Amino acid sequence: MSSRFKQDFTTVTLVLIPVAIAINIAVGQTIYTLKVPLYVDSIGTVLVGVLAGPWAGALTGLLSNLIWGLSGLNVTYAPYAAVAAVIGLLAGLFGESGWLKQWWKVILAGIITGLVAAAISAPITAYVFGGVTGSGTDVIQAMFQSAGFAVLPASFGQGVSSDPLDKTVTYLIVWLIVRALPERFMARFPRAENLKG
Amino acid sequence: MAQAFSLFTVRDSILHRFHPLTKLSSAGFLFIAGLILPGTWTAYVVLVVIALPLALLGKVTRAWLAAAWRVALPFIISVFLVQGFFWPRGTPLVFLGPLSLKREGLVFAIASTGHILAVVSSFLLLALTTRPDMLMTALTQAGLPGNIAYIIVATIQIVPRFQAKAAAILDAQRARGLETEGNIIQRLRAILPLVVPLVLGSLVDVEERAIAIEARAFNRTGPKTSLIEISEATWEPPVRWVIVGVMVGMVGLSIWLR
Repeated sequence: MSSRFKQDFTTVTLVLIPVAIAINIAVGQTIYTLKVPLYVDSIGTVLVGVLAGPWAGALTGLLSNLIWGLSGLNVTYAPYAAVAAVIGLLAGLFGESGWLKQWWKVILAGIITGLVAAAISAPITAYVFGGVTGSGTDVIQAMFQSAGFAVLPASFGQGVSSDPLDKTVTYLIVWLIVRALPERFMARFPRAENLKG
Repeated sequence: MAQAFSLFTVRDSILHRFHPLTKLSSAGFLFIAGLILPGTWTAYVVLVVIALPLALLGKVTRAWLAAAWRVALPFIISVFLVQGFFWPRGTPLVFLGPLSLKREGLVFAIASTGHILAVVSSFLLLALTTRPDMLMTALTQAGLPGNIAYIIVATIQIVPRFQAKAAAILDAQRARGLETEGNIIQRLRAILPLVVPLVLGSLVDVEERAIAIEARAFNRTGPKTSLIEISEATWEPPVRWVIVGVMVGMVGLSIWLR
């Protein structure tokens, strides 16, 4: 693993990561202004995962949320840093397994990522934020709780109702982008061989 | 949209002159103490006894309270509505039509608001009083790999440029007739024309930047010197160790008592 680890963290990967984090933030803010029920704030993380492997993806996710949080501009994202790291890790694993070559596997990867993200973020939402996200999806939390679910399972239900769709959209956008990137550019990245259809 | 990617506020205060790691460990202490200490009102006590005096010391109280209020308010409203009215099987206190305010839900909402305020205000206090580049230099000198520091500092520098680029793309697509404020279908269809140009455009200069930093000995191994000198009082390192020790103790104790 150690040699593969070093191969993944080339200078190009290290330069790509800040760009990817800035993409997460700028795209996330743009989508927020559209007022659609999606976040789309992990395109950069998934992109690094598939181009440079699971560890680079995990680092991108982790630092995205920590930097966004510690900048003081989106402090409530910082407690979810572990979730973002897992999203990047999974993207690397899906890329490694060649799942970004066919469109239906891309969708499946998005749905699985969404379910995993919902499972890990539920305890954070429940214990740190009292089960709410401060947005419209809190209606779903209220629905689950009034159906008799406790705070934690209701938070998982709330996540399941929004995360799989959000991550599927994210994966499809990354898939489109990877297909649009020139071959010469892709060849600079350690995991490019996983993405050629 | 393209403001500086940091809340840092210049003040001539004692807190601003503290070593960044002293402030980082204090913020960590606030975060942990506010979150894991038991009791409905504990987090509020922590905020008044520790966080507020620090904000006063840093002369950032007004900005700190305003930012904390702005960030935490939607959460607080939500947590009282959701947990107050939709707590599964609680003791009803007040009836409002078909809904009822539950005692257990209210207690949970009060405790959760304390947690939310502790999380939000600890990060904000650090962000308001610590220059990001100073924090990174301090962390690198304390042993954080230079690669990680590069990623963080580069991110802080390029985010404002990307925000400006995103705003320009939004304006350009609107000028071409892209509907960004119509119904939900129109707004969903606006995602791709906004996102794809931003991402593809941003990736173009990655290769050039890589060559540029490689040409400046980025990959050289061994110790590197820093342009920024960070001074600190002699009492600061032991105080940091005490703060970190108490933090670890609190976490350990709460796991042990569970």
